[in-house]
Amino acid sequence: MAEPLVKKDDDRDDEGYSPFLGIEKGAVLQEARVFNDPQLDARRCSQVITKLLYLLNQGETFTKVEATEVFFATTKLFQSKDTGLRRMVYLMIKELSPSSDEVIMVTSSLMKDINSKNDMYRANAIRVLCRIIDGTLLAQTERYLTQAIVDKNPGVASAALVSGIHLLQTNPGIVKRWTKEVQEAVQSRAALVQFHALALNHQMQQNNRLAVNKLVTSLTKGSLRSPLAQCLLIRYTSQVIRESSMNTQTGERPFFDFLEACLRHKAEMVILEAARAITELSGVTSQELTPAIMVLQLFLSSSKPVLRFAAVRTINKVAMTHPLAVTNCNIDMESLISDQNRSIATLAITTLLKTGNESSVDRLMKQITNFMSDIADEFKIVVVEAIRSLCLKFPLKYRSLMNFLSNILREEGGFQYKKAIVDSIVILIRDIPEAKESGLFHLCEFIEDCEFTYLSTQILHFLGNEGPKTSDPGKYIRYIYNRVILENATVRASAVSTLVKFGAWIDSLKPRIFVLLRRCLYDSDDEVRDRATLYLNMLGGDGLVGETNQDVREVLFGSLDVPLVNLETSLRNHEASEEFFDISTVPKEVKSQPHAEKKAPGKKPTGLGAPATGPASAVDAYQKLLLSIPKFAGFGKLFKSSEPVELTEPETEYAVNVVKHIYDGHVVFQYNCTNTIPEQLLENVTVFVDASEAEEFSEVASQPRRTLPYDLPGQSFVAFEKPEGVPAVGKFSNLLKFIVKEVDLATWEADEGVEDEYQLEDLEVVAADYMLKVGVSNFKNAWDNIGADCERVDEYGLGVRESLAEAVSAVINILGMQACEGTDVVPSNARSHTCLLSGVFIGNVKVLARISFGIDGPKQVAMKLAVRSEDQSISDTIHEIVANG
Amino acid sequence: MILAVLFANNDGNILIERFHGVPAEERLHWRSFLVKLGADNLKGAKNEELFVASHKSVYIVYTVLGDVCIYVVGKDEYDELALAEVIFVITSTVKDVCGKPPTERLFLDKYGKICLCLDEIVWTGMLENSDKDRIRKVIRLRPPTEA
Repeated sequence: MAEPLVKKDDDRDDEGYSPFLGIEKGAVLQEARVFNDPQLDARRCSQVITKLLYLLNQGETFTKVEATEVFFATTKLFQSKDTGLRRMVYLMIKELSPSSDEVIMVTSSLMKDINSKNDMYRANAIRVLCRIIDGTLLAQTERYLTQAIVDKNPGVASAALVSGIHLLQTNPGIVKRWTKEVQEAVQSRAALVQFHALALNHQMQQNNRLAVNKLVTSLTKGSLRSPLAQCLLIRYTSQVIRESSMNTQTGERPFFDFLEACLRHKAEMVILEAARAITELSGVTSQELTPAIMVLQLFLSSSKPVLRFAAVRTINKVAMTHPLAVTNCNIDMESLISDQNRSIATLAITTLLKTGNESSVDRLMKQITNFMSDIADEFKIVVVEAIRSLCLKFPLKYRSLMNFLSNILREEGGFQYKKAIVDSIVILIRDIPEAKESGLFHLCEFIEDCEFTYLSTQILHFLGNEGPKTSDPGKYIRYIYNRVILENATVRASAVSTLVKFGAWIDSLKPRIFVLLRRCLYDSDDEVRDRATLYLNMLGGDGLVGETNQDVREVLFGSLDVPLVNLETSLRNHEASEEFFDISTVPKEVKSQPHAEKKAPGKKPTGLGAPATGPASAVDAYQKLLLSIPKFAGFGKLFKSSEPVELTEPETEYAVNVVKHIYDGHVVFQYNCTNTIPEQLLENVTVFVDASEAEEFSEVASQPRRTLPYDLPGQSFVAFEKPEGVPAVGKFSNLLKFIVKEVDLATWEADEGVEDEYQLEDLEVVAADYMLKVGVSNFKNAWDNIGADCERVDEYGLGVRESLAEAVSAVINILGMQACEGTDVVPSNARSHTCLLSGVFIGNVKVLARISFGIDGPKQVAMKLAVRSEDQSISDTIHEIVANG
Repeated sequence: MILAVLFANNDGNILIERFHGVPAEERLHWRSFLVKLGADNLKGAKNEELFVASHKSVYIVYTVLGDVCIYVVGKDEYDELALAEVIFVITSTVKDVCGKPPTERLFLDKYGKICLCLDEIVWTGMLENSDKDRIRKVIRLRPPTEA
């Protein structure tokens, strides 16, 4: 026999020695054979179970065979009457999680224990059983569980209730039948039973608004014994307040009195929960906030770190929406900057940065400087972001804030932290003109000793755009050329591009740049050499690359305003010939995923109407086609062409679809018609459009199709005038008119023909037609760059929807924008989702939208839409589109 | 939901861990995150001094007791306040079982008992028992004396 596991009282003699030293799985499994002994040694068996538990906790895994073997052996231990061992057996079975075919081995023993006189056997047997059984077995034991829920022993009741919470996930149908017993348990005198019963009750009924309302109404009148239960009740009350109508006739918020009364509860946990609930009420007034903020302020100086954390975390949130309401707490928060708990200190600082006034900035920065050296990078990033916002709020303070950023830029830190600082400096330079010179100088200093290639190239690019426009651009050349000498190839290539920008912008620097670029011709890297060669030619003005200075600048400073994927497609399609590639022919619209919009997927291609080569070539073709029609030539530049919309059912005599071409002041409908009857020849094919439900449109021109033989697609056009730049919408009914001639298939001769008409389906011009799907590679940067000047934020209720994903896709379709960063995909079961959209609205106005969706129990969807664009009226228009959609 | 309860020694070795609703592939991340959090902050901390942090919508309350660092992670209703309650029950029970703030050796000596206590305190991500006297009794399957 092996030595006993632990010798009593030997911990004093041998402090560092682990009782599990040298433990080995195989040996312990061998030892587990003692479970099969006819005379069970309870103490020894307990020791072996402890070793098995230790192995499991160390991440050791058992093979299927090993686990089965241990499980079967463990079931033998039910024979022992030793209570200590029995308790270990319960734990061991839970840890082993036997498979469904093994469970049968223990169910009878557990059922016996569930009916035991010893309440503790019952409680444990319930917990084990609920962990391992499936639905069928649950139905058989349901009777015992419902009895246990209302058992007078709180241990048994709690075991059954917590098991219920666990089982609700897997067998909701059965657990939901226990409502009566669970409601009885909510009234229990035992605090924890009440807590568990309330949690289960709410989970069972969370989709039933009326039931939750009833539960809250009845419980808020009485008093719960457990502070934990009281906290749950506060949360459920907040939910009811959120869902109920904002104000009754008296203008009072329902249940607010209850929340306020909880602020005077004896348990700190309840007070904080109530304060938090009040601060999170939608449209909370300052009068409602005051008592909550007062108690939070008291907790800021509590001796318990958890209370300080909870209070400052809540105040931090309030500061985002109601900064003035928390200014009274500033002094208390300042003392928290030196809090030993760095989470508390960070929260205090970021709150102060939100609530502080201009005069306190300098003092605050001094305090933060001491604090920064001893916190982790993730906290530092939070502080940097808060400082950036503060600087944008108080631009006059840019000097001290910029100094702070440059100081921390020089200190040690990881990539994310440094990137946050660089991003902040770049944003400040863009938004605060006075900060430009010092900001660029700090960035130059940083790249002298920067270990991150990504940041060096980012800064060099930025320097190239901004540096030449400063008062003394020459001073930056040294920093840039140093990169050519000292850095890796990627950075060197960036530096070459930056140098040439200075040369192109400032004539006086040109000769010096020439000298430097010539040196780069001998670089070891081909990209660096290629760039140097190209730029030397450009700057040399030999006519090879750019005709004029303006052209050169356009190439160097102009942004690539076409999506890379479209550029790539166009380049691939471009045949090497004498003709130069023209970048202006590359479509700007992002290629959308193929979707099942067409009613007849298996249909033959109908010429231009159903382009098979993707949108890039289709838009090219549309443009050429429309330009070839003199009537439409004066409409200006084509903004967008829609996907073809079918106007006929599949397999009908005439197949017609329409493409909507959008111009600034016009809309052209291109009807792609196909005659599917061999015996017929159509002539003078035109579409009569009734625009009575499209008031802002008036027909200005039409282009009929002269002949439409069998199976040869042809187009007929109708053009409408509409107010310039306005996203006018409307519904159009369409009637196909033509002369139909019978054709003799033998001789191919046609008769004189008769006039005929054919009703087509209606067509709508919607707001999304005025939006180009143009994505951005980095939404956050784009969002920050476009700025909040023309921002509009509003909230909307979308009513009951099938799912969150359905609501998200509906809104994307209404707006017709490009979803960025994969945010059009909603994870299943998500209760909330943020969708990032980008596009170009008619008039070539960039638009970005950030939409936060939330769905509640009864599938009511609400959304918060924030739109940023270059034009306030466009931001408003996007909101109108959503409001009308 | 209480997502995790972790006991580690001063060197960051895991002594006991319990996860609830945390996918297996994320556990390693949590383990190293918590151990690093402890290494950064718990040095020189007093016994049972509470530390608190939050990471996105998840809360972490942690402390040191003798040679053992204890971490509790929760979300939703188990915010920092509820977790403080949970960790208080855990520390007082461990002290009760070991008779004092334990050395690592003492903790391992009482390993089986501590596992049982933890099983009584947290089960399927919920706080089930919060009274150390009661826990002391029920781990031996003795009926608790009710007030």
